[in-house]
Amino acid sequence: MKNFSTLDKTASAVILFCTALIGLVVFLGTQAGVRVKANLPERGLIGPYQVVTLIFSESVDPQMAESLFDIQPKIDGTFRWADSQTMQFASLQPFELGTAYKLTLRSGLLSQNDHELKTDQSWEMHVREPEIAYLKSGDGQSGVWTMSLNNTNPPRQLTDPSLKVIDFDASRDGEFVIFIVQNQAGGIDLWRATRDGVSSILLDCGLDRCTSPSISPDGTRVAYSREIAGPSIDLPYGSPRIWMLDMSEAKDGPVYQDQQVLGYHPQWSPDGMQLASYDGLADQIRLLNVDSGQQFIFQSQTGGPMTWSPDGTKFLFTDVEQSEGGVRTRVRMADLTINKTFTLTGSEDDMDYGYNSLAWSPEDDESVLLGMRAGGDDPSQVFWLFNPGRLDGVIVAGQPEYAYTSPHWDVWGGAFVFQQFKLKGPYKPEIGLWKQGSAEPLVVGEGLMPRWLP
Amino acid sequence: MFSVQTTNSSKRLSRPLVVAVIIIVLILVASSMLPIIFFTWLWDRLNIFATVFLGIFVEAVPYLLLGTLASGLVEMFLDRDQMSRWISHRPIPAAVTGALMGMVFPVCECGVVPLTRRLFHKGLPLSAGVAFLLAAPVLNPIVILSTAAAFGWKAMLLWRVGLSLVIAVVVGLVFSVEKDASNVLRPVLDMAHDHHHEESKSFVEKIRAAFVITADEFFEMGRYLIVGALLAAGLQTFIPQSALLTIGSGPVLSVLVMLGLAILLSICSTVDAFVALGFVGTFSFGSVLSFLVFGPMVDIKSIIMYAQVFKKRSVAYLVLIPFVMSLLSGIIFNYLSP
Repeated sequence: MKNFSTLDKTASAVILFCTALIGLVVFLGTQAGVRVKANLPERGLIGPYQVVTLIFSESVDPQMAESLFDIQPKIDGTFRWADSQTMQFASLQPFELGTAYKLTLRSGLLSQNDHELKTDQSWEMHVREPEIAYLKSGDGQSGVWTMSLNNTNPPRQLTDPSLKVIDFDASRDGEFVIFIVQNQAGGIDLWRATRDGVSSILLDCGLDRCTSPSISPDGTRVAYSREIAGPSIDLPYGSPRIWMLDMSEAKDGPVYQDQQVLGYHPQWSPDGMQLASYDGLADQIRLLNVDSGQQFIFQSQTGGPMTWSPDGTKFLFTDVEQSEGGVRTRVRMADLTINKTFTLTGSEDDMDYGYNSLAWSPEDDESVLLGMRAGGDDPSQVFWLFNPGRLDGVIVAGQPEYAYTSPHWDVWGGAFVFQQFKLKGPYKPEIGLWKQGSAEPLVVGEGLMPRWLP
Repeated sequence: MFSVQTTNSSKRLSRPLVVAVIIIVLILVASSMLPIIFFTWLWDRLNIFATVFLGIFVEAVPYLLLGTLASGLVEMFLDRDQMSRWISHRPIPAAVTGALMGMVFPVCECGVVPLTRRLFHKGLPLSAGVAFLLAAPVLNPIVILSTAAAFGWKAMLLWRVGLSLVIAVVVGLVFSVEKDASNVLRPVLDMAHDHHHEESKSFVEKIRAAFVITADEFFEMGRYLIVGALLAAGLQTFIPQSALLTIGSGPVLSVLVMLGLAILLSICSTVDAFVALGFVGTFSFGSVLSFLVFGPMVDIKSIIMYAQVFKKRSVAYLVLIPFVMSLLSGIIFNYLSP
């Protein structure tokens, strides 16, 4: 011991004491079993398609963990594992508004080496009130704002006020929006803003124009239309092509390798497996299965709109045809289960109704909104709630001298928001809301491009 | 006799030459037997090595310069009497004051070593100097702001500052039991300046002298920074992060992996919060916190630099005590909040 100074002894004692404490903590921790925490928003207020994340204190067996998982009331969903400690549950249907969900992980074995969850762990979840995101322009500014339906909170701006937003899309889980902004080089970039209002650039497109962003239902990818800048400033942009940005893997590239395949206005199927886009040069709607690479092509001269059935097996689009009575806009249905396309309505119309909006309810196979001309010489436009099975419907928004466009259903299919303009008088874009069971739609505010922010 | 000596001398000269030629020939023969892919791999590794080395070195050099500049200014403008007045010689107040001094000096782990050495020379108590050495890289305003920028003014920042302070004070107190600083510190050449001679200098002369000291010390400590950066780059090149990350799960192992990464990466504390942010999601709160607490105190380049100021055993304690304390705190956090 002669060689050891007081410092040596003290330092060794501290190191030994800490080592003993580490041993004690590990022992106590092991006795406590596996711990788990749920990664939920504050106060358990979730979006209707919230991915519920459970984080375990150590690696667990996925099958064992899934067998202990329970949600009441029951809701179907799928499990994903980000890593051996992180389990995610994604529901296949939206969580219901006004329902209290109880998420429980029951006690039991969680790994092959007998590590277990000692006691049941539970969390309460409620679906938050959906909001409406919209574009508000004026005084040289243009930003994405959001408003609550019951006016509990004043409208708030989601995007950075210094950014002039051109277009945007909202994610299905309501956690973020993707928007586009012109950059200083003259190109158009993709940006992202969280629900809390934090903006950050997502993709610097340089001189290129990246437009029409469309977020995949699982929120991991953004399909967009990209026009490549010419070799010099005075040369025109190339034709638009569809590109895809994978945000989870930070990969970006054209969807179609063939440079002759053009496209804009990409649109995802509800399951995120298929991506539709319009090729204006070939007058085609092109459908791509993003997993298998299988493609379908549908002739259309209108360039849109298109909409998917709730189960993603059918979709509607518009086309024009020359009939005996003149040009008719018709609504066509593509049934992917039988590989057939047929005209749903329009061919027999006594006049051209110019169907300009299509929105299939995400929950009801028998509810499709058709935006169309009112009839006669009236330039007004109306919304027709159309049943594709019975081929009839009712007008749900049809005030004279108004034009209604861009309907978007909420995730439950119980309401839709839309854009409306008065055809006479000063330009004043308004946001309308229609709820199931209501006789008349409501005007909820002024703004452009309304979307749901669930 | 004379001719024999000449013969011996020529033998001594020729042996190393022969050995060198043999080695070169063996390398060439071995190289010709290796597949070309090996050289591609080696070239890639060397490129990575050079990039990592330059990354660490360029990141650290300004802070080393700042530290040596502070050291020069301390030498010329602070005298022993002032130091004695400001710093208590009782262990606990000295250690706490030393740790809190870090809030004043914007130095990271490279710059803090020459500054601490200078402060020791000016009579700073051992406990205060050690606490300052370990705390300053975290408690300085730049690091606090960069951590806040990465993690917000939230728990991670508070725990990082709090734990660093506690560990620095504890290690400072451990060193306070040693009454003779010469048992802990290495003797330093060329530090003795005539106190009275400094007093008689004008302000401009003092500034000039401070710059001379800064330059001398910068080049002296810079050598060790280069050695440390080379070593860190070598380890990073040949022990990829992915190898560590793949084994990094569980409440204990994940902390050990992050502590290993902290030593291996040798990132300057002014920017390490942004690197740590990348580990959030992959690693638990406790693991990332241990990285942020331990990394600024101990990494490869700082160990090399500590070895120029402290004796070997003291360096071992400066590494081991923060290591076990960071490990302990990381594990406790992991068990309390997975």
